[in-house]
Amino acid sequence: MIAAPWSAAVLSYAWQVTLHSFVLGTIFYIWTHRVVVPSGRAKRRLLVLVLVLPMLTAAVPGRASLEFAEGAAWANSARLLSIPILAGFRLEHVVFLIAMMAVVLTIGQEILPVLRRPATNGPPPPEPLVALVRSQPGWNNCGVAVYPHESVMMATGGAARRPHLFVSQGALETLSATELEAALAHEHAHWQAGRWFESHALFAVRLLQCYNPVALWVFREYSVEVEIACDAAAVRDRHPRVLARVLLRIYERTDPRDVAARAALRKRVDVLLGGGPADDALPQTTVAMAGAVMALVLPWIV
Amino acid sequence: MDRLKGLPAFGFVAAAVLVALRLVHLGVPLVFPDARQGPIAVASLDDVRRRVGFAPLVPGYRPESLGVQPAHISVALGPHPTFAIVWSANDHYLSVTQRRGGPKPDHPLMARPLTDVPNSTWWATGSRVHLILERDGFWIAIDTSLGARDLRRFADTLAPY
Repeated sequence: MIAAPWSAAVLSYAWQVTLHSFVLGTIFYIWTHRVVVPSGRAKRRLLVLVLVLPMLTAAVPGRASLEFAEGAAWANSARLLSIPILAGFRLEHVVFLIAMMAVVLTIGQEILPVLRRPATNGPPPPEPLVALVRSQPGWNNCGVAVYPHESVMMATGGAARRPHLFVSQGALETLSATELEAALAHEHAHWQAGRWFESHALFAVRLLQCYNPVALWVFREYSVEVEIACDAAAVRDRHPRVLARVLLRIYERTDPRDVAARAALRKRVDVLLGGGPADDALPQTTVAMAGAVMALVLPWIV
Repeated sequence: MDRLKGLPAFGFVAAAVLVALRLVHLGVPLVFPDARQGPIAVASLDDVRRRVGFAPLVPGYRPESLGVQPAHISVALGPHPTFAIVWSANDHYLSVTQRRGGPKPDHPLMARPLTDVPNSTWWATGSRVHLILERDGFWIAIDTSLGARDLRRFADTLAPY
């Protein structure tokens, strides 16, 4: 017996979003590997499409009926979900299990770290650093706190109009003045050019899809791309090697078991030293047309 | 042309993925003929037509001992669209299953036609009686604890909801 909630509108919509993001993600993944789309604006736009577009195409009305699914639709996922696997279990049960694992991962790796703010009971921040932070455009009221830990860490948080910079004791002791400036420029870039709003809006979209493993992967890719964009902004007026040195110091102090974090750092250093992101790898028209085509096609997959 | 750089490759990849999806759509029922889509519990008879695409047949005659509301309504989308409804109360039981197409439901060798009910097959097991009807491309199976006389009434008063 399929649990009755499967037929409920919300769960049906949730599955349709997952299905569409999987199809869209697969197409974009193969496409960008064929035409070689490196890090940059075009890649960010494609990732945003994979996160947002399925929420719209899955909401197109009139797609829930059996007549549509078995008649007009190009592909009906219910056929796939009903494939028997073992001992009465079907593919839909595996999908449900994966969705639950994605929820656990989202809570454990994304929501809890956001709620767990770094302890700021360290020594007061050095006055020159506070002055430097508050001299950044739009940061005249930025709070600065020292995180009493030997790791090399600098991060920002807080509301849109009330930023807060956290810097670790290890960063203050390890980084030179120019390296500290480069790291600060990177953090400041997160609050420029609408990046703060865009990142938070997409994080909200991501949380709405907390059950969706594709959204989990796409948002992580997007986050790395934002870091790369901020790296590029930070080295606009300085040599990329300065920031690359900072990233390598963070890399050295990152737990080797944290494979994902180390891979992201390696990629950022590679892009920095390889000439920066390729913002125009794909023309805007191409990305827009690909999105429009998929917006028309996806509703026919149920 | 530079403004559309990469678009032909996108078209090629999208077409290939969509063709693969279509092949899966067509191939799953062939490779897994036993793949069932359901049964899915539904809240009311109003939902049945929307889900399975046909009007459910329910007996107009229902003794009070069965209760007013059905105990359970469900549909299965595949391999053949099926509607099932069960009334159960006071140790009495009535189940009606309506399936579009497919082979005739299983029945014992000793089953025989019910007098004056065309295309029917009935038999009894203990206190229960069973009836299979063929109506306009549908197989209808009725199973009840109420006896053969009521079984005939159920068959005679079957009507689309």
